[in-house]
Amino acid sequence: MTAGTTPAPARQCAELARKDLLLEWRAGEALLVTAPFGAVALMFVPLAVGSDVPLLRQIGPGMYWLVVLLFGVLVTLRQSAVDDQAQRAVLRLCGVSPAVRLAGRALANTVLVLTFALLLAPVAVILYDPELSGWPWFVLALPLVAVGLALLGTLADALADGLAGRTALGPLLVVPVALPLLLGAVQVLDAARYGYRPWPWLLLMLTLDLLVALAAGLLVRHLEETV
Amino acid sequence: MTLFGRRLPIAVATVAAIGLAAAMLAPPERLQGDLQRLMYVHVPAAWIAYLSFAVTLGASIAWLWRREPRFDRVAAASAEAGVVFTGLAIALGSVWGKPTWGVWWTWDPRVVTTAVMFFVYLGYLALRRATLDPMSRARRSSVFGVVAFIQVPIVHMSVVWWRALHQPPTVLQPGHPPIDHTMLATLLINLAAFTLLYLLVVRARVRLAVAEEELAARALAEGSELAGSAVSAPRLEVK
Repeated sequence: MTAGTTPAPARQCAELARKDLLLEWRAGEALLVTAPFGAVALMFVPLAVGSDVPLLRQIGPGMYWLVVLLFGVLVTLRQSAVDDQAQRAVLRLCGVSPAVRLAGRALANTVLVLTFALLLAPVAVILYDPELSGWPWFVLALPLVAVGLALLGTLADALADGLAGRTALGPLLVVPVALPLLLGAVQVLDAARYGYRPWPWLLLMLTLDLLVALAAGLLVRHLEETV
Repeated sequence: MTLFGRRLPIAVATVAAIGLAAAMLAPPERLQGDLQRLMYVHVPAAWIAYLSFAVTLGASIAWLWRREPRFDRVAAASAEAGVVFTGLAIALGSVWGKPTWGVWWTWDPRVVTTAVMFFVYLGYLALRRATLDPMSRARRSSVFGVVAFIQVPIVHMSVVWWRALHQPPTVLQPGHPPIDHTMLATLLINLAAFTLLYLLVVRARVRLAVAEEELAARALAEGSELAGSAVSAPRLEVK
């Protein structure tokens, strides 16, 4: 491939994301296994805390975001997102930079986490019957959570790549750092319910997204280096 | 060269003894009485945790820049010390919280974010343990050492962003700190003692890491069997 025919980074990123989504479509791990597991978790919470309708209505949004966070990490660490040495070598030879590879994976993860969260939303509404007046804010918070979680998951996946305990280690690396996403998402809906504009919380999530994107963009080449 | 050295342990013991005496002699707080003396260990433990993670950040950046093993050793040693000091700060806060707040644990933002910081750096240590190849371990943990530091300003600012049970910054408050001068001096002496203790622990851990590396290199050169190799060979990554 000559320099003149090398696709632009944005095109490379889109193609890599498309490849990841195609693999996931064939494997069905995130949406056919993890999503039902998330729905089961949402169903089990009322069985654990008691089927008190006012209580469930109150804790429902929080439980929904918690399940999205915990199970969303599993979506980003799915088995179909594991590249072997040969795939990486081919991409390197084709001139695809580590940052573009990470961006492609993060884009695919964002789409999958967003889909996962959208699939679970009606389940949470049916099981918990929450207050729905703040739904426009939910629509704003959802992409911010999905992008943040996808970026953190992609970075953790790159950090734990090739390790025996990858799927156990990944969640420990992602979930504590994702605290601002959980806080922001829950507080956005709470603020909306009490009639406040939740811009500071949206800003907190956006800041975390930008910081992680910046850190990942700057540091990813160090993870890709050959020894 | 000994693990702990000679002069630094003496300095730590001396300053710690002065700090302990000062903490005992400082005036009791008007409302909490003697219970407030916990401040002289709780606050330095929390500050040293911040310092530890800042050193991990600096050493991680230095490793990514220079690729010298000593930076990786310092980053790891400092993170280990930071986890211990964070755990100590949480435990002491819990002991302080029971008589003042009525509970061992409360969902106060400062308490929760500190516990989260503890788990973030446990993740850092777990990542190091999971990676067998030294070069790969240094590379991965340096990257995570930079990202993990995001949590530290969140912990520090939590008392400003969310006003809850935990008091806002006192000493680092802009302007005149609203604390008795004797109490402030006692706190600073204990902070010095904790800082020296941190330096002692990190230096000893770095020396231990060097000794471990030399032992591993010698074992490799002699071709001796590694522990557990009869069961399965250690799987080093091939990059």
